[in-house]
Parts: sequence; C-alpha cells; structure tokens
Amino acid sequence: MSCHRYESLHTRRDFLAKTGLGLGTAALAQLLGRDAFAALPTAPSPLTGGLPGLPHFAPTAKRVICLFQSGGPSHLDLFDDKPVLRQRFNEDLPDSVRRGQRITGMVASQSRLAVQPSRFAFQPGGRSGTMISDLLPYTRGIVDDICLVRSMHTEAINHDPAITFFQSGSQQPGRPSMGAWIDYGLGRLSDNLPSFVVFVSVNKKAAGQGLLSRLWGSGFLPSRHQGVQFRGAGEPVLYLGDAPGISRERRRLFLDGVAELNRHHLEASGDPEIETRIAQYEMAYRMQRSVPDLMDLSGESAATLGSYGPDVNEPGSFARNCLLARRLAERGVRFVQLYHRDWDHHGSLNDRLPDLARDVDQASAALVKDLKQRGMLDETLVIWGGEFGRTPYAQGEASLEKYGRDHHGRAFSLWMAGGGIKSGITHGSTDDFGFNVAEKPVHIHDLQATILHCLGIDHTRLTFRFQGRQYRLTDVHGEVVQPLLV
Amino acid sequence: MRVFSPVIVTPSGAAPAVRKHSPMRRLAFSLAAFPSLAARLLACAWVFAPAAAFAAAPAAKLEFNRDVRPILSENCFHCHGQDANHREGRLRLDDAANATLDRGGYAVIVPGQPDDSELIARLISTDEEDRMPPAKSNKHLTAEQIETLRRWIAEGAEYQSHWAFSPPQRAPLPEVRTASWPRAPIDRFVLARLEREGLSPRPEAAPAAWLRRVSFDLVGLPPSPADRAAFLADVDRRGEAAYGAAVDRLLASPHFGESLALDWLDAARYADSHGFNNDSTRTMWRWRDWVIEAFNRNLPYNTFVTEQLAGDLLPSPTLEQRIATGFGRNHVINSEGGIIDEEYRVEYVADRVRTLSTAWLGLTFECARCHDHKFDPISQRDYFSLFAFLNNVPEFGEDGRVANAVPMIPAPTTAQQIAFADQERRLAELEAAVGRARASLPPRSAATDRTLRSLLAQAGATVGHLGPDLLPARTASSPPGITGPAWRTAPDVPLDAVPSVPPEALNFAGKQGLSVSFWIRPDTDNPRDVPLLSAMDYSGSKDDTTFGRGSEVRLIDGEIELRLSERYPTYALIARTKEARLHAGDWRHVTVTYAGGRRAAGVRIFVDGHERATEVFHDGLPAEHGRKPYRLGADNAPGGARWRGSLDSLRSVPRALDAAEVRQRFLAEALPLALASAAGGAPEGAPVEAWRSEGLLLARADSRAAVEAHDQVWGEHLALHRAVPTTMVMVELPQPRQAYVLTRGAYDARAEPVGPGVPEALLAPWPAGAPRNRLGLAQWLTQPNHPLTSRVVVNRFWTQLFGTGIVKTLEDFGYQSEWPSHPELLDWLARNFVDGGWDVKALFRGIVLSATYRQSSSASPEAFARDPENRLLARGPRLRLPAELLRDQALAVSGLLTPAIGGPSVFPYQPEKLYAGLVVGADYPGTKWEQSQGPDLHRRSLYTFWKRTVPHPAMLTFDAPDREFCTVRRSRTNTPLQALTLWNETGYVEAARQLGARLLREAGPSDEARVAYGFVLATGREPDATERGVLARAFARFRAEFAAQPGEARALLAVGDTPADPSLDPAEFAAAATVAGMILNLDETLTKN
Repeated sequence: MSCHRYESLHTRRDFLAKTGLGLGTAALAQLLGRDAFAALPTAPSPLTGGLPGLPHFAPTAKRVICLFQSGGPSHLDLFDDKPVLRQRFNEDLPDSVRRGQRITGMVASQSRLAVQPSRFAFQPGGRSGTMISDLLPYTRGIVDDICLVRSMHTEAINHDPAITFFQSGSQQPGRPSMGAWIDYGLGRLSDNLPSFVVFVSVNKKAAGQGLLSRLWGSGFLPSRHQGVQFRGAGEPVLYLGDAPGISRERRRLFLDGVAELNRHHLEASGDPEIETRIAQYEMAYRMQRSVPDLMDLSGESAATLGSYGPDVNEPGSFARNCLLARRLAERGVRFVQLYHRDWDHHGSLNDRLPDLARDVDQASAALVKDLKQRGMLDETLVIWGGEFGRTPYAQGEASLEKYGRDHHGRAFSLWMAGGGIKSGITHGSTDDFGFNVAEKPVHIHDLQATILHCLGIDHTRLTFRFQGRQYRLTDVHGEVVQPLLV
Repeated sequence: MRVFSPVIVTPSGAAPAVRKHSPMRRLAFSLAAFPSLAARLLACAWVFAPAAAFAAAPAAKLEFNRDVRPILSENCFHCHGQDANHREGRLRLDDAANATLDRGGYAVIVPGQPDDSELIARLISTDEEDRMPPAKSNKHLTAEQIETLRRWIAEGAEYQSHWAFSPPQRAPLPEVRTASWPRAPIDRFVLARLEREGLSPRPEAAPAAWLRRVSFDLVGLPPSPADRAAFLADVDRRGEAAYGAAVDRLLASPHFGESLALDWLDAARYADSHGFNNDSTRTMWRWRDWVIEAFNRNLPYNTFVTEQLAGDLLPSPTLEQRIATGFGRNHVINSEGGIIDEEYRVEYVADRVRTLSTAWLGLTFECARCHDHKFDPISQRDYFSLFAFLNNVPEFGEDGRVANAVPMIPAPTTAQQIAFADQERRLAELEAAVGRARASLPPRSAATDRTLRSLLAQAGATVGHLGPDLLPARTASSPPGITGPAWRTAPDVPLDAVPSVPPEALNFAGKQGLSVSFWIRPDTDNPRDVPLLSAMDYSGSKDDTTFGRGSEVRLIDGEIELRLSERYPTYALIARTKEARLHAGDWRHVTVTYAGGRRAAGVRIFVDGHERATEVFHDGLPAEHGRKPYRLGADNAPGGARWRGSLDSLRSVPRALDAAEVRQRFLAEALPLALASAAGGAPEGAPVEAWRSEGLLLARADSRAAVEAHDQVWGEHLALHRAVPTTMVMVELPQPRQAYVLTRGAYDARAEPVGPGVPEALLAPWPAGAPRNRLGLAQWLTQPNHPLTSRVVVNRFWTQLFGTGIVKTLEDFGYQSEWPSHPELLDWLARNFVDGGWDVKALFRGIVLSATYRQSSSASPEAFARDPENRLLARGPRLRLPAELLRDQALAVSGLLTPAIGGPSVFPYQPEKLYAGLVVGADYPGTKWEQSQGPDLHRRSLYTFWKRTVPHPAMLTFDAPDREFCTVRRSRTNTPLQALTLWNETGYVEAARQLGARLLREAGPSDEARVAYGFVLATGREPDATERGVLARAFARFRAEFAAQPGEARALLAVGDTPADPSLDPAEFAAAATVAGMILNLDETLTKN
C-alpha cells in the first residue's frame, strides 16, 4: 500500500482514537464504510488499532521478519574473517585488546585467554566481494542483497539478559517486546491474523538455551499486543481446532445461538463490551479458516519449495518457518519473529557450528530471494542475527581442531536486507582480534531505532506511560544508523 | 503463547497514552472538523465521548493538585523539578518559592498576574528558541492546558503539597439530596459526586444478581443452587438481614482466602519456577498457603505487612512467621552458568525495593535507582537507603538451578506438624520401653556371650560381600583399631602427599547408589570443620562455575556431613546429621547411604547402626561429579583444615544399604570386640559395654520387639522429615552488608556508602525506638498516620470489587498519579480501615453491603459511553472475570471442582508439546509438564503450576501476568484467542460435557427446563422466554445431528479424563454438552454482572 493510503485512513483513525472509545468491529466497519466481516481480503489494508499520528513519516518497510539465532552465533567463524587470529594462534589475548573488560564466570578462572582462530575458510562473495565463511554458501550467494553489520555490540554477556535486551530494549524482564511495540504503534493490517507472529523452530539435535514467552510478551502494554506463537507441530495456534465432534456447521450453529443470546443481553445490559465479544467470536471463527490456509503449502510451486531446501518438508523446521514467514508477510502480518536455538558453542564449536549453519543458511537466503522475486523485499525488512557473538579466545584450550568460544557482546555481526536498507554493503568493523568494534559501532538500541525508523516510526516518540513515566523501546538511547538507509 | 491485537479496541484496554485530560472537549473539536462523521456517530447511539469525569466543574476554583500539578508534572518537572542534576535555569516549578522568585525584574510565576508571568509568555511564545517545552522534548501543551495554568495564576497560583503525602483525614460525610439512597457512609461520597454531575444511581440489582457478584468477589466462585435458593428465601423472610448473613457466610468460607490471595500473588510475583532461561521448579507454595490462611483468619493488615517483610525479626518468630518472609524471596533467580554473582544479587535486592514500593507504598521508587526521581521528591540516595534494608540476605546471585535457593527452611505443613507431634509422643514412650528393657539386661555371663555369638554369626553372614578396607596399609606403630590396627592421619604431610582413595571405590555418580562405612575416632585437637574424605575442588575463585565441584564427607561440630556438589554451595546436596555427637576419643561407626537420584531424600546417615536425623542445608544438585580421588582427611581449599584422628575399616558397596543391613554391618564389626575378654584389649575409646547391651537387646525376643517398635516409628519420623517441603525465607546477615549509592544503578559502580533509611520528611517519621532493620521498616510502613500504606491497599481492594481504583494508577500515588475520582472517599476508607484495626474482612463487608456496590450493572448505552470505566459509580460493576475465576466457575458449575485448599501446585490439562522448542535442553525440574491425575486435575486455578517462562496459555490469554515482577494491575482484554480457548481447551470442553450431564440428570425432562437449569447455574438468573427458546432450539438441533452421527457424539464425549456417564444416551448427552458449552460461552456467564 502507498503511504498515501496510510494517511487517508489516519484522519479517521485519529478521530476514533481521540474520542477515547473502544469501538466494536461493526461500528468501526460502519464508519469505514465496509463490512469487516467480509471474506478474507486478498490485499492487506490497515484496519484498526495503532496510534494517531503514526507512522510519523513515510515508512520504507511495511513489515519485519526477524530471523533470530539464539545462543550467540560466532561472528568469527561466520562473518568476520580475522587472519590475525591465525597468525597469533594460542598466544595470550593482549591486555591492550581486552582492556579489563568483564568476562563471564565460565572463563574467569582460566589461567589464560588463548587466541583461537577459526578453522573454517572464508571466501569473497558477490560483486561486493564480502568475505563470508564457507559454512554459509547460500548467504554468500545473496551477499549483494544484504547489508552486513560487523560492528554490533551489546551490554549483556549472558543469554537471558542479552536476548531480552535485543527483543525489549532492557536486560531486565518487564518491557514490551519489539513486535508488541510495533503492534501498539501501527495497529493491524489483517482482519483474521494477528499482527505479531512468532515461530520457534524445533531443533534436530540439542535444544539449547531456554526461550521465554516474555520475548514476545507485551510487558506493560495491554496484553492484546503480545505475539502469537504459531507452532510447527500439532495445532498451528493453540486451541484453534474445534473439539472432536464439533464440525464447522455445528460451530456456526453454536456461535449463532451465542451471538443471539449475547445481543439479547446487550439490550438489557447496555455494555458495549458485549458487542466486542460478539465480534471477537466471529474473528476467532474466521481464524479457524485463515490459519490452516496459511499453513497449507500445497499451493507453493516445487521450485519455491525446493529453494528453501529439503527441511521445508519438516513441520517445525527453520526452513518451513521461513516460508511461512513469507506467507504471513503476504497476508499483512507486520512482525514475524523466528527463533532458532543452539548457537551456544562453548565447546566443540567446530562440530556443532556446521550443523547449525546448515539448518538455517539455505532457507534464510531463499527467503530473501523469494521476497525479492515477488517484489516484496523492498517493503520487507529481514534481520538475521543473535544476541551476541563469541570470544576470539578459546574457552578451555586453544586448538586448530576442536575448540569452543565463550559469549562475547563487545562485537558481533548481523545482517539486514530489504525494507529500505542498503544492499551489498558492509557496515562497521572490528579490531584485528574481532574483540572490540573498531569503526561505526551499532548498539542494540541503534538497531532498534533503525528498525522502527524503517517502519516510519520515530523511536523517541513511540512511548507508553507506565508507572508515572513515558517508556520507549530504546529507553533513553539509540540513534538511527543513517548510513544503512537507502 | 500470547494474545494478539483484536480488531477492536476495548474500553478497558483503549490506547491509554492518547486519552487524557479532557477528551470531551477534544471530541467537540474533532466533531467540528468532521461534521458528516459526527452525524453518523451521533446516530450510532452508544458511540459517545467518555465523561470528562475529572475536570473541575467550570465555576469552581482550580486546585493545584487536581488541575495544575498533572500538567506541570507531565511537561515541566523533568527539567524544572526536584532532580538537581538535571535542573535547567535553576528553576523549580514544583516549588512555590522558587517559581515566584524575583529573577531580576521578572518572575516565572506572578500570582494573580498571568500576563506578567514568564511561564505563560514562554508557553505561548511563537519564537522557537523561547517556547517551552522545547521542541526536542516532544512535549506539547494544549491550548486548554495553557488556559488552565493562566487561570490558576490569575486565581493566585496557590500551591498545595501533594495530597497522597499527607496522612488521610476523615472528612465529614457530604450532604446529599436523595437521603434515602445511602446505606453506608461510602454511599454519601458516591452520591454527592453523582448529584454534582447531575446523575443518579441505578436501582439495586436483583438479590440473585447481587449474590452472584458478591460470591465472585469474596470467594471467587458462583453461588450453588442451594446457596441461591437459601438466600432468596432468607431475603423473603428477613429482608435486609439476609444480605448481611450472606456476606458473613462468604467471609467465613475458606475460599475467601483463596479469592483475596489472587491479586496478592500477582503483586508478590509468586510463581513455582525461578524464571530466566533455566526456569526450574522452586517450592514456595507454603508461602502461598500462608497468604490464603492469613486472609482466612483475618490477620490485621498491618500484621500481614509486618510478617511478610520481617517475620524473621520478630521476637521468637514462629514457623509461620518465617514462612511469611518468603514474600521477599519470590523474585526471579538466575541460574545461568557464568553470570556475575553480584550483578544478580543486586537485581534481587532491587526487585525487593520495587515490590515493596509498588505494592505497599504505591510509589515508583525504582525510577530513583539510576538518578534522582524525575517527578517525585525521591533522591537516588533515598533509593539506596531503602535498598540497604533489603540488602542483608545471605544469598547468591546465581542459585536455584534445580531447587530452592538459599536461604531456605524446612516448612512442614500443618498436617505434618501434627504428625510430628504425634510421633514424638510415641517415640518418647517407646524409648522409655527400650530403656526399661536395657536396664533389665543380665550382667555378662557365658550365656550372654553365647547369645551374642549367635547374633554375630547371623550378622557376619550378611556382610561377607562388602568391599575390602580402602584405607592405606597400617604401619607397625599404628594404634589398635576395631578390625585391626587403626589408620592414623599425619597432619603435616603436604597436600600432594596425602593418601587417597580411588574414585571408582566411592562413586556417588552412578545411578545405582552407594554406601560408605567406616570407623572413626577423632583426636581432641580437631578443628570444628574438617574433611574426612574429600574429592571436592575448592581451589580457585568462588565465582568460578567449577568451584566446589565433587563430593566429600566431613566432620563438622561432631556431626557427619555429606556434600555432593556441582558448584558449592548453591548447586549441591548438603546433608548433615543432627545430634549424632561424635566426640573426641570415642570410636564410632558411620555409614552414609545414597540412593542416587540427586535428591537429599536419597541420603541416610547411620551412626553405630542407628539412623540419625539429618538437616538438609541444600538440595539443589543438578548432576553428580565423582571422577576424582578422595583425599583422606584433607581437602584442597587454600589453608584448609586437616582432620586429626584414627580411622578404620573404610568400605563401600555400590548400592544403598537398608537400615537392617547397616545394623548387621555394625554388629559384625563391633561384637567381636564386645566378646573379647577384657584382657584381649578392646582399643581405647571403644564402648564395648554399650555394644554388648545393644547386641543383647536385639538378641532377646522381648527386648527386640521393643527396639523394633521404636525403630519402626523412628523410621517413619525420619521419612516424614525427608518429605517436608522447604521454602525460601528472608534471613538477616549477622553483620549487615554495607550498601552504597550505585552510580547509574550499576552493581559495580559503588559511590558513597549509605545506611538504611526512609524518606521521613516526605512521608512519615521513623518510629521512635524502632530498630534500623526490616522490622523497623515494617513499623514505619504500618504506623497509623503513614500517608500511603492504608490508601494504597484500600484502593487495591476497591479495584478488586469495582474494576478501577479510586486512584486509577494503583501502582503510583506520586506526582504522576491520576487524581482520585473520590478523594474524600479514599481517605475515609483508609482512615476507617486503620482506626478499625486494619480489619480486611470488615472493609469488604462494608463495601459489598453498600448501596453503591448493590446497584444494577445495566445502564443505558449513553451511560456506558459517558463513563466507560464507571469511575463515577453510577452503576454496579460489570467486569469480565479474571483468568482464574473463569476456569474455576466452569469447574464449579459442571460439578468438577476439587475444593481442597492449599498444597503443592498442580498440573491441569495443558496442550501437549507446549514446551517444545522453548524450555532449556537440560533435564532440570520443571522442564516437563506431567499432568495431574484424579482430583488434582480440577483444583482451583490459583494452584496451577506457574512456570514463569511458559505460563499456562489459558492464563496468559485471559491477561494473567507472567509473574516475573510485581504487578498490581492486569489489563482486561477481549480477543479471539479467548474465544478459541473457551471453545476448545480440553478443560472447558470437559466442563461443558459435565455440565451437560447435570442438565440431563438434575433438571426436568423438557429441553426448556434443562437449558433453563444450566442457564441459572451459570448466570445466576432465570432465562426469559427468548433465551430459553434459543437454547432449546439449539438443543433439539444438536440432538438430531448427533443422533445421525453417533461417532461424532462419542468423540465429543471422550474429551477429558473424567469418564462420561455411560448411562446417558450419547446423542442426547453430546447435544446437552454442546448447549452447555454455549451457556458457558455467554458474555453474561463470563462476566461478573
């Protein structure tokens, strides 16, 4: 949709918001001159919710797909080639590099921090010649479509606070997640799908760190802004399927009766909340159709399916979730959050990293290409990365064969594509050891500010009053990273 | 699994940030801009602006607190407030003297002269440079707000101190015109406001409607048909008295405590798991049950506060008072390996500050953690002074990987306490009987020796398969031991020369378990804590994740302690005997058995063949680590103590011996010495006479019976001890930790030291003579004139009944709080509450019997539109039930509810594989949902196991918080996922089916009678003809459908573990179940009306 359409609706939405009233769907539809109960619309249109005055300016992205790699993928083995590590194998990490910065309790007692090179080779890719590890051949294949940021940094050094920080802007629990902020700010585009959807892929081997539903929680925002987890196995949305013995027709009959009684009671009670309930029951009924449609891949071509790799046939796989993310994007979902776990390679990184890379490389690249092919990449912001990187020194002994790396938040890599982000560029760099950011640091709050910016949101102006003050995703920090923007 | 945004913005959840101040005028403005829409809006009758409920009536003089402070606080105080570090232009707009200061020919505020006041000039300036607030602040005053400031200055610019910081005062009851309406003093306040607004209250709700409402509010369950009938009959008979009697019955119900506990569990962030990404199980339900019990026995609220904050510091605290302090330990605890201990310890203290200040003070104290509070007069120093009270717990930042975190105590339930008392009484009798038998034993003779030899032969037969002595070879100079020469430690050998036992001989890491036994004779000069067998690594830093890994047996204060540890002391199993009293100079026989399984319940320690009671200091072992040699009498702690004494006959067997086997083993080794002649030379320190008595007692049939009877009860006693749950508590370090102001709130950025203190000048003086600890803090909080404690709690109780607080911002009574809808009422309630002895039940009784509460909740659409949140109370409360009560109601009306109170949390239906992909990959407790069986499937929802990282989805869908931190206000949303849950969640489907069975079994034979019966059960009222008709027609239709498709009927009836009544016709039953489902889905059913 064009920005113009946003604006034309905004005047109405402003007005509705300013009346300070919650409106029933029916009333809203009446005001908008359309039937909100009509069949599934083929093209998304902004429907409801959202704040007046948003977007603050013309967005470059309508939606975000975040491919989150939980556990801390090693930037040094995937994206940030450091020849110096090879030259100085097993030497002590110089104090001039560490500069007294804190390290975790897992390596604090090591007698030394031994320099650990990657055992994986890097090759240049694309016209840009960006160096990418051999573990990510497909990513290397799309390197001209992405923007690689090698200068990310974060504050936390442990998983839980670091992931929470990435998703909510605070290391401590209690803040709304990014998707919830966006739903709160921009409202919904779909009549029968949630606007913030989460997938957690099912790992083939080890499960890795625990995830937390707070990562897609609404914090202090109203709980309707929570992300909805779609599940690869079993019912795609909890409780979506009708109980055994309840056919669609029976559910319809059931609903008609309930609606009639609720309307009857509305006359006696006067409470408009009853109207809302009637409408929500209808939306639930529609979701029971629209969600299975979404999950049904029979309409996808063999070529498309093939491009995501063989795992696409496995429900719950990262590859399948990538394809579903594209389908959700097509249907107006604003924020699709994927999680893939088990990047936490304290030991045997040499064995485990290739498995993880295989899990996600082909599908991540396929998603970007698929979006591009369909003309959707320009309006879809794709983000690939984890909560932190890994240390250039070994956890335990340094070795050219078998080694592990500890958590490292001082510097790591992440890539973005589409949605108003420049393609084929590399932003920022690290020092010779990949320990500190050398140039153009990008803090997690900067990344968040940039994501909101692409969606047309000034991150300093998307606020919510809680406990007596205005809160925002980026706390009191964050600068939009202008050089990344088209 | 979370809720997503609905198509609709509900009144209760409407975008709050954009709706403030005076929406009425804004609407008028908007309508002018959109005339055609306005017309449509007005046609759509219920779409109406909410009341400008809190704006002053136009003629009245403006009040600083009500009208002016919110504008200044929101827009100006950030830079011109009390935070000296960020104050611009040396201007304080929160301070009259500073604001009116002569600044060289001008003043920011000139009382009475708005046109001479720089404030107004700056607000309306067209010059970007001059205009306030500056553009970069993103703050903007409306014309209306500027006008308010102008008028306030014109009226004299009178400042007021913030209302909530002065003690509540009892205002005279306001005069009202409709004198007949009020039933209670509170009604006078409500009616006076309504009359000022030109509104009148709604008529009283029907008795049955009131009964359902008050039942949900006081016991969280709908009235049963019998309750309802009895009440209606009583109303017919006694009129008004019936109401009071009904309330008294509800207040006396044990479910009252459950109902009141619900909100407090949110505030106190109660959960059954530790949170963070490992999120394993903790045991805090004894604290939860304390809360229920406290409300049930109507513990005065000041005591409720005191015991939770400082029960441990009361003189001679009871077990229950110590359990109460778990309030301070309900915070999340991180067990992620490698975290920095102090960072998280500081977070836990900060969480206590946040919880205390939100739940009891109603202040956003935590804003002052990083800098002086931007709005309220709370400095960073104030923050850390409060922090200092809560900083003295002997705890760790990293703890709780598989069990409770220290400090914790065993917390037997009431039933267990009764059983203990009974056992102790019986044990005293049985010990006396054994004592009598011992006293009557014959002196040593050939006959007694024969008896003992026969006993020895039996014992020897059972110990033959035990392992060899593991101690090093003795030397010629070795003193006599029990089975030969004793092995003596040589205290001065260097650590690397200390002899050791190979790890495979003492393998605690195997699944099969282990028993270790030895003889021990301590020298007199032992330190109080010495290692006997140590395969623990105590080298390096305590912050290291591998510090204290391994296993060992120690002698501490004459008691035997077993440590199995991953990281001492947090991830460890630590069990120590009680009253075994291994004195210097005596030979004693020790056996430690371990059943495997990493739980303290699998450890038993025997001395001289008798099992000893143990104290478990920690029961949090995630994995056994046993692959290191055991040093004999030494550990590798830097400067660690060395054992001095003799050992003999160290043996092991890779399984846990039972008590009988241990005794045989003891006898087999002790009796030969007891039988040896005196000249044969029992070693010094061997109590051979006692062993002989022991043997004879066991060998003689009559005394053996006495011994066995005693041992039987003793075994039960110890087993019960092992079954006692622990609970985490507050404990005060003997020497308080020094607290510091932490720069930017960071754990490692210590600035100046601070002592414990409270903002006395702002709120209330420190009580004379109160100790400077948590107990003093409790006394400070609960002093009768504290301005906040009583207001905050009565406001929260009010919200439980009416949905919205008198002060809407339950968590914030500071400058940024919302002006109370009925300030005098709030103060009256608070004053009355305190002066009446903080009597919670009396408070509820007074409100639910008031005319205000008894109003009908129905109203015209215009009335709902004018005041969607019912702030003016022109109608009764009408609110969707909270998550817990929705399910509890379904269980109650279907007859499934198990009404038992308290106990460990339970595991009702939850979608399979909900945890897939979410929970940590390790096998920690709480990573699997093992569904409860039988009655525990249908307990009230407050007993559902609360896993913080993945709470039960049905709870989250209906707006329950995740309990990661203190929450005093839930949102109340209305979403499609809620519909899906109510339709299809196993528990709701099962409840509908069982309700269907009740319709068929308990109601009259006609469809109309049946649906009416169910309708009354669920809504508390008789359906009208239309309602009966709709449901009866649906019933008939479903019956026909299911009759045609009996397989589908059977499929529906098979949902849930409760067997479907086989005597009912499946089609009839399935149809009734479906109609019952409709009834359970009615808005009226889901709502407290």
